[in-house]
Amino acid sequence: MTIRQAILTDTTHCIGCNACVDACKKENQLSKDLPRRWKRRIDDLSSTRFTTVLAKSGGRFVRQQCRHCLEPACVSACIVGALTKTPQGPVIYDGDKCMGCRYCMVACPYGIPRYDWEKPIPYVRKCTMCYSRIEAGGQPACVDACDQGATVFGPRDQLREEAHHRLKRNPKKYIDKVYGETQVGGTSVLYVSDIPLDFLSLNPELGDTPLPDLTWAALSKVPPIILGMGGLMAGVWWITGRRQKLAGTVETATDKKEKKS
Amino acid sequence: MTTRQRTLKTVLWALIGIFGVVTIARFVGGLGATTGLNDATPWGFWIAFDVMAGVALAAGGFVLAAAVYIFRLEQYKGFARPAILTALLGYAAVAVGLLYDLGLPWHIWHPIVFPQPRSVLFEVAMCVMIYLTVLLFEFSPAILEHRLFNRPLFRTVHRLIKKLTIVLVIAGIVLSTLHQSSLGSLFLIAPHRVHPLWYSPIIWILFYISAIGLGLMMVTLESFFSAWYFGHPLKLKQLSGLGRAAGSVLLGYAALRLGDLATRGGLAQAFDGSGMAALFWFELSLGALVPGLLLMFSRVRSSSAGLLVTALMTVFGVIGYRFDVAIVAFGRPDGVSYFPSWIEIAVSLGVVACALMVFIWLVERLRVYPEDEEPHSPEPTGAVAPRLAGSLRLLLPHSMSAPRRYSLAAMLGAVGAIFLLADGDLFGAQLAATPVSAPRTIEGKLIDHSAARLMVVDGNRDGRGVLFAHDQHVEDLGDKEACEMCHHQRLPFDSQSACSDCHRDMYLATDIFDHSSHINHLEGRQGCSRCHRNADQVKTRETATPCADCHQGMIVTGSSITPPTGGSTGLAVGYLDAMHGLCISCHQRESAADATEPSTGDCALCHQKQAVASWRHIGPYAAPAKPGDTK
Repeated sequence: MTIRQAILTDTTHCIGCNACVDACKKENQLSKDLPRRWKRRIDDLSSTRFTTVLAKSGGRFVRQQCRHCLEPACVSACIVGALTKTPQGPVIYDGDKCMGCRYCMVACPYGIPRYDWEKPIPYVRKCTMCYSRIEAGGQPACVDACDQGATVFGPRDQLREEAHHRLKRNPKKYIDKVYGETQVGGTSVLYVSDIPLDFLSLNPELGDTPLPDLTWAALSKVPPIILGMGGLMAGVWWITGRRQKLAGTVETATDKKEKKS
Repeated sequence: MTTRQRTLKTVLWALIGIFGVVTIARFVGGLGATTGLNDATPWGFWIAFDVMAGVALAAGGFVLAAAVYIFRLEQYKGFARPAILTALLGYAAVAVGLLYDLGLPWHIWHPIVFPQPRSVLFEVAMCVMIYLTVLLFEFSPAILEHRLFNRPLFRTVHRLIKKLTIVLVIAGIVLSTLHQSSLGSLFLIAPHRVHPLWYSPIIWILFYISAIGLGLMMVTLESFFSAWYFGHPLKLKQLSGLGRAAGSVLLGYAALRLGDLATRGGLAQAFDGSGMAALFWFELSLGALVPGLLLMFSRVRSSSAGLLVTALMTVFGVIGYRFDVAIVAFGRPDGVSYFPSWIEIAVSLGVVACALMVFIWLVERLRVYPEDEEPHSPEPTGAVAPRLAGSLRLLLPHSMSAPRRYSLAAMLGAVGAIFLLADGDLFGAQLAATPVSAPRTIEGKLIDHSAARLMVVDGNRDGRGVLFAHDQHVEDLGDKEACEMCHHQRLPFDSQSACSDCHRDMYLATDIFDHSSHINHLEGRQGCSRCHRNADQVKTRETATPCADCHQGMIVTGSSITPPTGGSTGLAVGYLDAMHGLCISCHQRESAADATEPSTGDCALCHQKQAVASWRHIGPYAAPAKPGDTK
């Protein structure tokens, strides 16, 4: 069985050197960032920047990137299956299938997927956790580049234990929460931090329910709706037809009577 | 042909002319250059209007088909065929509109070969596709009745389809039920984005019921149109029956929506006096509460004015519901907003114009309306059309033949659109060829300082001028290729970048510390302890050795700036502090001794206007400016 991999980011170790961003840009061959209206406004992520280090007050640095959710909303939203959750953990994208509906961008609770707005042939762009490197037995470029060990890569179960271990060992330093452990059903990118990280999601009130369950509640009603509505309409059609027929026979019967008399 | 027919067709042709031009712009320039969409607004006007509202507006087809063929309400038979044609054209318009919105429209067939049944959008796509086919079959008798198809083979097909009518109708109802509701289910996945007054676990039921009400009122509106345009008699008795049904449906929708909100405890939010609460009540009243209540009165129902007003209210209100869910109540991070570009609106209008044109064309040739509706001449009761016609007459006189008149209208539309595109949307992809507007030069001051060509610009739009070496920038950034780095792509309200977009270091302390180059210079990991001296401590900036411990030469003697000790040592001082603290003192000294030195010491050179106090308004490191902190 494939081991489910994950990334653990400890914001207390991050010194904000941006080496992960550089490495990511190099690995994914992304061009330089241009100051444009549709970029750099929200959280500095863009179609040419899959990870970014956000500077917070008090000299804290927080890395923003795709969470690779365990039950990704984007994957369930994708109409053609261009986004897939691999058994190793990464959520990857196949531009050859994509038709550009951007429902994934609507669905993502972290607002991660970005679009090539400026290009006539645009694709959805986001972190793929360096899937090709993981497949080859390596680790993501950003993790490789981190000298501080602020972001590490490994099996999700181990990293979760490690995260809890850090919280337990240093309870005064950390906020007592492993970010990404259970939120929206859990993510493959975990955070421990000494400042609240709610700003990383679009809405701080994200629950633990996996988002695909919400749409599935409605989608699972499709077969009963087909049968119920079809049956109902056929039934009504039959009843109204029968009524008309009966009314018709009564009419003709009275007609005959009248003729006789 | 009557004046109002000629006028409407002229207007439609003009819209189609605009549509042609913006179509080219959309596919050459891409989505970013031609729409207001952004990373926080993946869905905009096209999805809200062309898809969400378009599908809902076409709901009349399945509602009337159900009434006539399933419930056998024979008195509405005359409405069924036009309603089905409207639905057919409406759905075709949805498909065309979608082609504009999709990033890769040539992949629109992919859902058929790469099905993903967990996606709501997949269900919508499949239903819409199949329903479009069903509608074509439902409408086909009207086509096959045409004398062109009066041949044995077509007669057999015609008979066969007539026999299948009930199957087609039931299929149409089931498919409509599914996708009308699923358009609401699409938003179930985004509880984090849709405003709580609009987000609901039963949003799909609300979408379905409101679509039925809207469909009925659209059939009413359509009757008004055909009376106005074709001169068909208005069948008030039947329309009043439709109105009663629509009224009950709309009130049911409003009650369900409010009841759902109340049971989930969200009613308090509807009375919190916020703008969103006001919008909620406005939209619900306009689309359901007011027309629903009005339609309960038979006096309103049986008057043409009452029906027209309630129908218009419902149409705007229910479309408003779709717009709110898709755009207005759809959350975005602070500082990001969306407003549709004129091209988005022009495309949608163009699609509608095409659909209306095809509708008229088909009605003129096929038996869409029952024979008993002999058109009488609709002249000249309408007030709006003749007035509009009067102004058009100057441009396109009556004596002009129809083809010539319409081509001219389309051409005028196209030329107008090209004029509007002149700021570069059409050729947005060819950056080098686009004209850029002049930098915000203050009072046109251009100081030709040797070869650099200095100008005074207000680069940050804060009313302050700075010296700006334009040619130097062009050269450094890579010639004309780099124009867009400052001059963007001529987007609405955003013709240039502020200096601070690139020079983030100008007004704020910036991170200039390069960790990896330090590692290289200090021979890899052995060098860690040179800065991170205490092994027990976590390696952070705060615990590291201050930069100045090694880089003693960095401190300028006589500077008013003292380098920070301890934490945050990797931060360079902001441009402002550097200028004032490190540069000016030297320059003042030097220029006093040598007149050829640039006199940075002269405050007025930079500080042309001294009123503004907000220097450090951007950036993560900067402390908020104190009033009067202008130095």
